[in-house]
Amino acid sequence: MASKARPGAGALEGLALGLLLWRVQLQMFINQTIRSRNAGRIAGTVAGAAVILLAWSWEGFITWLGVEASHRMQLHVDSVHLLSLAFLAYTGVLVFSSLVFSLNALLLNPDLELLLAAPRSVESVLASRMVVQVLRLFLLSLLFTAPALLLLGVVNQTPLIPLAFAVLFLLYPVFVVVIISLMSLLLVRIIPVGRGREVLTLFGIALAIGINLANFLLNPALRDPGFARHPGVAPSLPDVPGASSAWLPSGWAGRSAAAILSGDWVTAGQWLLLLLAASAAVFAAGSVLNGRLYMAGWIQAVPPRRRHAAARVRRSKGALPLLSPVLAAVVIKDWRMRTRDLAQLVRFIMPVVFLFIIFGLRFPRELGAVRSLGDGPPAAMIGLIPAWILLFSLSISLGLSAVSLEGKSIWVYVASPNSTMRFLQAKCWSTALPTASLVALAALAAEIIIRPGWLWAVTAVVLAVAEAIAVTSLMVGIGAVFARFDWTDARRMMHPVGVFIGMGLFSIISSASALLLVISIALAAVTRFPLFTTWLAAMTIAVGGAIAVAALGILFGNQHLRGLEVG
Amino acid sequence: MGRLGTVLSTRLLTKRYGSLTAVEDLDLEVGAGELFGFLGPNGAGKTTTIKMLVGLLRPTSGNAKVAGIDIAAEPEKAKALIGYVPDAATLYDKLSAREFLEFSGDLYHVERKLRDRRIAALLKLFDLQERGDDFLSGYSRGMRQKVSLAAALLHDPQVLFLDEPTVGLDPQSARQMKDILQDFCREGKTVFFSTHILEIAERMCTRLAIINHGRLVAMGSLQDLRHMVGQDGQSLEQIFLELTGSREDDVSAVLRGLES
Repeated sequence: MASKARPGAGALEGLALGLLLWRVQLQMFINQTIRSRNAGRIAGTVAGAAVILLAWSWEGFITWLGVEASHRMQLHVDSVHLLSLAFLAYTGVLVFSSLVFSLNALLLNPDLELLLAAPRSVESVLASRMVVQVLRLFLLSLLFTAPALLLLGVVNQTPLIPLAFAVLFLLYPVFVVVIISLMSLLLVRIIPVGRGREVLTLFGIALAIGINLANFLLNPALRDPGFARHPGVAPSLPDVPGASSAWLPSGWAGRSAAAILSGDWVTAGQWLLLLLAASAAVFAAGSVLNGRLYMAGWIQAVPPRRRHAAARVRRSKGALPLLSPVLAAVVIKDWRMRTRDLAQLVRFIMPVVFLFIIFGLRFPRELGAVRSLGDGPPAAMIGLIPAWILLFSLSISLGLSAVSLEGKSIWVYVASPNSTMRFLQAKCWSTALPTASLVALAALAAEIIIRPGWLWAVTAVVLAVAEAIAVTSLMVGIGAVFARFDWTDARRMMHPVGVFIGMGLFSIISSASALLLVISIALAAVTRFPLFTTWLAAMTIAVGGAIAVAALGILFGNQHLRGLEVG
Repeated sequence: MGRLGTVLSTRLLTKRYGSLTAVEDLDLEVGAGELFGFLGPNGAGKTTTIKMLVGLLRPTSGNAKVAGIDIAAEPEKAKALIGYVPDAATLYDKLSAREFLEFSGDLYHVERKLRDRRIAALLKLFDLQERGDDFLSGYSRGMRQKVSLAAALLHDPQVLFLDEPTVGLDPQSARQMKDILQDFCREGKTVFFSTHILEIAERMCTRLAIINHGRLVAMGSLQDLRHMVGQDGQSLEQIFLELTGSREDDVSAVLRGLES
């Protein structure tokens, strides 16, 4: 219930509870990694730590190069404006991350009920969420900047630089987190129950497209529709004139950061104190307001939405030509699951969106370049590039997640009188059908536009479809070996090792196929064999190889699933 | 034992997780037409046993047979004869109840026309016609349990396994489920279910088995169990507490300890 204690008590209690929650999260992280007693997880943790160390070394090296260059070239930059701009850009990251976190915490994480059932005020529970988020962002900031800051501290012989920046990183996110938390509480009033994940996904797509388009429209270097840049226009980030305003937190942080780097500790301290006072006030007020808003009620009490009668009429008959009822049942069920869940649907749509961004906006210049190659296999092969990007994205996202898609409902299949091989067959169909169809459409469209000669166009499309089926089936097999059924968040469906192996094999198959096709052209030129003969031979070997690898993948997947126990 | 012979049997069925023995040397025989109650305290091994019997877990040793078919040796053949309702059925949230049942029917090789006829009948039986086209994400736990039972009945199994079937059901639905299970058994089919609610087991079951720490401690009709503990007229709850070693005195002692 809402606390009737003195104002600020909720914020203080929230601070303590937040630290407690943070400790628990840290504990869970340690339990799941180094204390998991699971060789794979421990190896993953060690590998992750090694990657971070490598990235840190690289960052340290680049920073050192930058410092050396600045000493030699005597660059004159407005460091206050530059750093304020950096903090303003960081605000965008904070907004996105905080919104996702807040909505997740309010809509998806079941532990909110647990916390609210505890003898804690609502204000303190909501404040604790903000504390956890601030701490997460603080650590993330340090993760990305620690080597550079340490090196700057050493080079400038001022060991306080990393410490002062750490304080800045801890204080700066507070106002964003509080405002976003309040906004999220208002937002969840209009989000229907059970739609949290979809709304978050939709928000993510909107933001990704928005950032891309804004960059495309605002950045002078990207305004040109072709590959070439306008002469004399260097690539740059869009400037925001008000970023260093003394009335904005980005201006305070920028001034403080610039003063820290120049060793002006009085100025740095003044701006840091201002940031501290404002953050504390915003946090205290935000905690109270959050509690009031929460107690005012939200949409979760509204009964779930009923489907319209029209939806009943449009029902599929549950059959597919050429497929047995079991295979068809899984294919149709998967299709329904994917298309009814926005997060899943995005796996279809995002590749198309990015294809549009990558190729669509530069279309006229690219088309001219490819058409200049004339008729023949090179133009036909280049026409397959969009289809290949689509295949990469779809085969990884759909194929690797096909088996894990069942999640905890896997018992339905395991308890049924069907073999695991049949299950994998069904999964191959359910992923290969949409993937091959979309890849075929993309390839066909590209070949129609490029017009490399109908024979080459047809063979290119056939190659794309055959490889799409093989590669997607391979991904299903890999997904079965690394299947996860205990996920609650769809983003955790795919095992990182599976993704790594899948991407690696995709690259190998693609490179080998491309190499074979190039060899076929060279062979025809050297031996005077008809080009179409060598081309067909290369295609057959490429597709045959891909099918062989896919069959192996399916066999491994089947072997793994046969030992599956649903405990 | 059932009127029509043994339909489910286990022999020295054992399941170990590392050093932990969840079920040990379990010997069961359940006849056709029986409504068999499988009782035990929390963590006794009920769910593990049921999961082995329906083929979700592999026994460490021993075997289980359904209608004479070894579930580990011929899982697909045995599973075709089995219906299974888990304690908290995880269903596909983005499917409607009707679509989920269609999917289940196809998985169990039910011919399409027959499947659709049975789905209509089952939705009616479980009072779900009105909500049959709503997504399962909007269903209450009780409704999900009903859908899960309907899916288990769809392929007309010989043996129905239910893990805590009455949890989450309102009294009316619990009664409805009880009636459905009894009708099912009258057709010569078998129900094997675990429950914590001893009153239901006492009223419904033709025979009972009690498991504790993974071992079978008693099996037979209620009358048999009474003879076993040597006191006629005792309720199943008293027998259960007697056989599993849980005493009211122990509970009182613990509660007194908490107060001090």
